[in-house]
Amino acid sequence: MLSALLAATLAATMAPAQAQAEPAGAAAQAEPNQVQGLAVVQGDGYATLSWTPVDGATDYQIERTPVAEDGTATGTAVITGVWRPNRQINNSEPTFADAGFAPGNRFQWRVRARVGSEAQPYSTPVAGLTNAHWGDPDTPGQNLRTQWENTLGAQYTSDVNEYAYTQAVDELSERVRVVEIGRTIQNRPINMFVVGYPTPPATPEAVAATNPLLVNCNVHGNEPGDREACLIMARQLAFTDDAKTLDLLSKTTMLILPTLNGDGRATGARGNSTGQDLNRDYSLIRQPETRAFVEMVRDYRPIAGYDGHEYGNANTGDLPMLPPRHQNVAQGIFDESQNMIEGHMYSQGAKDGWWACPYGCTGASVGLGEETILRNTLGLKNVVNSLLELRSSGGPTRPDESNTANNRRRKTYSALWTFNQFLQYHGANTKAITTARAEAITFQSTNTGRIVFRGSRPIEAYPAPHPGETPPPLDAPTPERILQQPPCAYKLTEEQYHGERTDGPAGQRTTVAQRLAAHGWKVIKLADGYLVPLAQPERGLVPLLLDGQAVEGLVAGERVMPTRTGTHNGPLTLTGVNCIDGATLRGPLRVQPGATLIMTGTSVNGPIDVTGAAGVFLGGNTVNGPVRVVGTTGPVNVVGNKVSGPVDVLNTQGAAALVAGNTVNGPLGCSGNATTPVNLEVANSVSGPKFNQCSRL
Amino acid sequence: MSDTVLPGPYPGPPSRTRRLRRRAVTGAALSLLIALTGCTSSTEEDSSPAGRGADTTPVAVTGPLCDVLPAGDEPGNPASLVGQTPDQALTWIPVLTTFEAAVRATGMAEELSAADGVTILAPTDDAFKAKFSTANVDELLLKETETLRGLLREHVVTGAHSVTDLVAAGTVRTLAGTDLAVTPADSGARVAEKAETVCADYRAGAARIHVVNKVLGSLPDTAHEEEHHH
Repeated sequence: MLSALLAATLAATMAPAQAQAEPAGAAAQAEPNQVQGLAVVQGDGYATLSWTPVDGATDYQIERTPVAEDGTATGTAVITGVWRPNRQINNSEPTFADAGFAPGNRFQWRVRARVGSEAQPYSTPVAGLTNAHWGDPDTPGQNLRTQWENTLGAQYTSDVNEYAYTQAVDELSERVRVVEIGRTIQNRPINMFVVGYPTPPATPEAVAATNPLLVNCNVHGNEPGDREACLIMARQLAFTDDAKTLDLLSKTTMLILPTLNGDGRATGARGNSTGQDLNRDYSLIRQPETRAFVEMVRDYRPIAGYDGHEYGNANTGDLPMLPPRHQNVAQGIFDESQNMIEGHMYSQGAKDGWWACPYGCTGASVGLGEETILRNTLGLKNVVNSLLELRSSGGPTRPDESNTANNRRRKTYSALWTFNQFLQYHGANTKAITTARAEAITFQSTNTGRIVFRGSRPIEAYPAPHPGETPPPLDAPTPERILQQPPCAYKLTEEQYHGERTDGPAGQRTTVAQRLAAHGWKVIKLADGYLVPLAQPERGLVPLLLDGQAVEGLVAGERVMPTRTGTHNGPLTLTGVNCIDGATLRGPLRVQPGATLIMTGTSVNGPIDVTGAAGVFLGGNTVNGPVRVVGTTGPVNVVGNKVSGPVDVLNTQGAAALVAGNTVNGPLGCSGNATTPVNLEVANSVSGPKFNQCSRL
Repeated sequence: MSDTVLPGPYPGPPSRTRRLRRRAVTGAALSLLIALTGCTSSTEEDSSPAGRGADTTPVAVTGPLCDVLPAGDEPGNPASLVGQTPDQALTWIPVLTTFEAAVRATGMAEELSAADGVTILAPTDDAFKAKFSTANVDELLLKETETLRGLLREHVVTGAHSVTDLVAAGTVRTLAGTDLAVTPADSGARVAEKAETVCADYRAGAARIHVVNKVLGSLPDTAHEEEHHH
C-alpha cells in the first residue's frame, strides 16, 4: 500500500537542490516542456496551484518541499499529486489543490509535465506560507480549536471535546444557537448548530421561513472527516468578520449537524450501537437517531442539504457527489441537485483545484435508488441535496497516505471547501432552489404519474473531458417495481397503525403512527381505520413505506383506488370516503359531515362546499366557483389548485391546514382554525385580499 | 526513518468519560479548546500525562511508516507516549484507530498494562480494511467481543520485546497460545510469514508497540464481501 508513495517520494528527492539553486523569477531561459507560470494561492488547509499547460503533456506531477524562510529545504520533497487532463472540467487552465500538510508551515512547490511516462523539467519553484488553523489565536471565539486541530490530526475530536467546543461556540457567539434535536440510544445528545446573522431565528418555524441549508456531517461512525470540517466551519461562521459570509448569513440560516451517530463515532463503528447502518434507515426511522433527524427536517424545513461520508475506492476523484436519484423524486429537485453538483461544484472545483466527480463512476454498484439513504430520502422530501464522499484512499492522482494525519487533513479540508461552496451556491441560487421546491411540493400533492418502488434516474456522463471515467450505474427500475396507476390513499388497520413494532431497539420501539407523524404526513381517522392520502408533499415516499409491493416497507396498507374518474353532470352530494381523480364535474359539489374528500387533477364547474369532513385533500384541481372548507375534524391540504372564486378555510379543528401554491382569482379567507394554516414557504397567488389567519400565505 | 528524541510537552487525551453533560464545560475542558499559540515552552507542561517520563527518554521508532506518523515535537510523538499506558498510547498513533477501538470494545486495557510488560503487534487500519468488511468490523466491535478479544490476543506477546529481540528470538508465543515465526525484513521484522513491521519500537509504560501491516490470527477474510459505499 505504501510503496507507491515511497517510490514517488524517492523519485522526488533526486533533484531539489538544483531547483533551489535557481532563483525564483529569474530570467533563466525556459527549458523545452518546462511548466511556466506556476502560481500558488493559499486556502484553508489547502493550496491551489495553477500553471500554464504544456503542449502534448499527458499529466503533471506536483511536488511539495518544506522550506525555511530563506528557502532552504527542511524536509523531504514529496510528490503530493498528479493532475490529469480529465480530472476537472476546465482543462485549459489546470489547477491542483494540494492538501494534507500541517497548517501554518512554509513550503515550496514545483510542477512538471510528463509526456507518456517521461518526466519533463520542473518549473521554477514557488514558496509560500500555508494558512494556520482558522482564527486569530488572540481573539475570543476565533481562538477555539477542536481536539483534532490541537493534536494536528493525530486524534479525532472525542464526543466530550465536541460537546465542550460546541457549547463554547454557542456561548461566545450571538450568531449561533445549539439545539439538541434528540438523543442516541446510549443517550448521547445529538446537537445542531443553528447559525444566522446577526442572530439565528428563535424557533424552527422562523428558521424554516429563511430557506435554511443543512449539512449532515457524520452518520457513519467510522467516517469522521466531514465532522471535523463541520466543527471548524461552525467556528468560522460564528466568528468571521468576512462581509460576504455575513451577508449570506443575514439572508438564511445554516444548520450544521456534527454528529448524528455519536455512539458509532465513539466506538469506531459504521452503524449505531445496535449495528444498524443509519444511512439505510432514513425512511423507515426504526432508530431514535434517524427519527430525530427526520423530525428536525419536518420542523426546520431545509431547502438544500449535503450528507458527508468517506469512500475507500482509489479509482475516483477527490470529492464524489451524487444527487437524489430515486425516480419518485420530483424532476425539478433532481435537476437542481445536479445543477448544484455539475453547475457549481464542478466549476468551482476547477477553479480551486478540487476534483469533484460523480459518485459511482468507478463501475461499482453503488449510488443507487434506495429510499432508505438520506440522499434519496431528502429528495423525496423535496430537498435539493447531494451526497459527499471524501476519498480516503490514494490513487492515480493522490498519494496513498494510509490513515495518517496528512490523509485526514486532505479529507477534512476538502470537506470544508465543499461546505463553504455549498453556502455560496445556496446564496447564489436561492430562487432556483425555492422554485424547484415549490413546484415539487405542488407536483407531489397532485398525485400524478406512476410510482416506482425502487430505481434511479439515469445520470449522463458529463460532456468529455468529464470529471469521471464512467457515469454511475443506470439502476433503472425493473417492471415489477413500477406501479402505473397509483392509489389515491393507503388504508391501515388499527393494529397496523398503532401496534408497537419490533424493528426498533428495545425500550425505544415506535408505532407506524409515530413514524408517519415524524415524517410530517397527514392521516385521516376513519371509523374503521386510518387513511393516508398520497396527495401530499411527500407523496413519492408514501407508497415506499405503506404498499405491499414496497422493497423495504413498513406495513402493507390497503390500496384505495379512485372512486370517481369520469365526467359527471349535475349536483353531487358525497358521503363516506371519496377519491376523485382526473374527473370533470359540472355542477355543485357538496361534501357531508363525516365524509372524506381526496380530489386531484379534476375540473369542477360549480361551487365546492365541504362541511364537517373527516379530511379534505385538494391537489391540482381547477375550480370555477367558490371553495368553502368548514369545520373539518381532520387534516386539510389545499395545494396547487386554480380557483376562480373565493377560497375559505374555516374552523379546522385539527392540525394546521396546508394552503400552498394555489392560484386564487378572488379572496382567500381563513379564520377560526384551531391552528394557523401554513404554506411551507410555497406562496399562493391570490388576486383578492388575504384575510385573517391566511394573511401571510 | 525517524530517530527523533524529543520531549512531548503536550496535554494527554481527554478522559473518555461516558457521562454526558451538555451544560458542563469546566475551565480545564475549555482551556483544551483554546488555540496553542506556537510557544510550547516545555517546563510548564511537564506535569501533563504525555509529558511524564518523556523528559529525557530517547525513543527511536523504525520502519517505513514512521515518517508520516507524529514525530518531532508533534502531539503523539514517540517520546511523548513513553509515560502513557498502552491503551492511551494507541489513541495517539493515527493509523491504529480500528485496533484502538477494538481494545476499548473488549476491555483489554488492563491486560495490555501488565507490569511485566507486553509486546503489541498492532495492525494498521489499512490492514483491518484489507481483512474484514465494514459490517464484519461492526459485528466484532458491537456484538462479538469475545471473538474480537481472541483476535487481539493473537497480537499480544508477554514481555516487552524490541523488534531486534523478536527477530533474535525467531519464534514468540502470543497470549492466545499461537506461535509466531519472526524473521528479519527490510522494514524490521516479518511476522508469521505475512505481516511486516511498518513502524516498530514504540514504548508505552511497560509495553512495546510495533505497528504491523497485516492482521494476524485465524479469523476468515471478509473484506471481499462488500463494496465500501455510502
